[in-house]
Amino acid sequence: MTEIDPSVPLRAQRGDEQAFLEIVEFYYPRCLRFARNMMGNEQDAEEAVQDAFVRVHDSFHRFREDARFDPWLFRILANRCRTLLGRAKRHRELIEYGEVQLAIASAASPIEIEEEFGADWAEEVRLVLETLPPEQREAFLLRHVEDLSYEDIAVITGAGLSALRMRVKRACDTLRIRLTEVEKRNGS
Amino acid sequence: MDLERDETIERVAQALAVVPPRDAQAVSRVMAAVRAHKAQRPSRLTLVMEWMRQPAFSVASAGALAAAALVLGFFSRGAFGNAGSDQSARSTLEGQPTGEFPIVTGGVLPASNSHEVRAVPVPLVFDARNAKSVVVVGDFNGWDDTKTPMVRYGTDGPWTATVLAKPGRHVYAFLVDGTTLVADPRAPRAKDLDFGGDASVLMVTPP
Repeated sequence: MTEIDPSVPLRAQRGDEQAFLEIVEFYYPRCLRFARNMMGNEQDAEEAVQDAFVRVHDSFHRFREDARFDPWLFRILANRCRTLLGRAKRHRELIEYGEVQLAIASAASPIEIEEEFGADWAEEVRLVLETLPPEQREAFLLRHVEDLSYEDIAVITGAGLSALRMRVKRACDTLRIRLTEVEKRNGS
Repeated sequence: MDLERDETIERVAQALAVVPPRDAQAVSRVMAAVRAHKAQRPSRLTLVMEWMRQPAFSVASAGALAAAALVLGFFSRGAFGNAGSDQSARSTLEGQPTGEFPIVTGGVLPASNSHEVRAVPVPLVFDARNAKSVVVVGDFNGWDDTKTPMVRYGTDGPWTATVLAKPGRHVYAFLVDGTTLVADPRAPRAKDLDFGGDASVLMVTPP
């Protein structure tokens, strides 16, 4: 996906509300895709994206004119996702402590993934993705779904290049092994 | 060639890369949240103006505060020792960033309207594609149908507005085309109708 015209964030930075609206319209679907894949839950994903845009608007004075907008936006969004995931984890621990079945509690809003490869495959992918540690999931999504360079991912996550390559490799290895098992089990 | 991206990873990436469709309502909600957040944060200029409107404000007190801030600034940079003469300035400006004019209200400044409960901006979104005008009416604006007109997102998108409501329970409705009162489908329905029409309940918590 192409990036937005660089003049638009600069206009938004100067207080042009129409330019900010253009940014939200342009990036909302892509941000929601990343947040859905990270959070595994529609409601939390929408909250993360909305919070991220509020913070972008609030922090525009810190955006450097010579910087690219995409990594800056995704850094804020990834931070929000991490924060909300931490909150969700604490909430889950409380539920588990109360001996309520986690599967029932967390299955409220399954993500709808279009069915180019069939619902089963998309669902299996989502389930395996959720088992990855958040930092591996984040690095994998930024690299292979958002198609960002390792340099951009380093800006977004604050992690070093070699650590990021390792996270992506481990995520790929886990996905390959578990999804191959799933396909064997399903006889495909 | 990306060696990580074999056939399995390619299929995984494609399954996860489906972009959600554009959602005008979601964009509208985001813009309303941004506006509400912006309205909630007073600017530094507003804080200064509020402070200056306090009865306790005078040119002399402002000068004294500026002088005290300067003394504290020097003190924090090590220009003075722990002289007893600085104790009063230090205790007066406790909680203030050192060396900076005290714009953010702290212990030294009279709390601005501390006895009043501040109104909170609340974004509202209403979907009425065929409406020509929509106005928010409620107890927070005296049911005045001129105070809070909603703005349409695009040519056929949802209507949005931000209202200011003090913490507590409020009853409100949307007045469509100046004639029809409609309850907010996103909010609980009000049972205690005191104006003869559909209405909704808004619960506002303190910021």
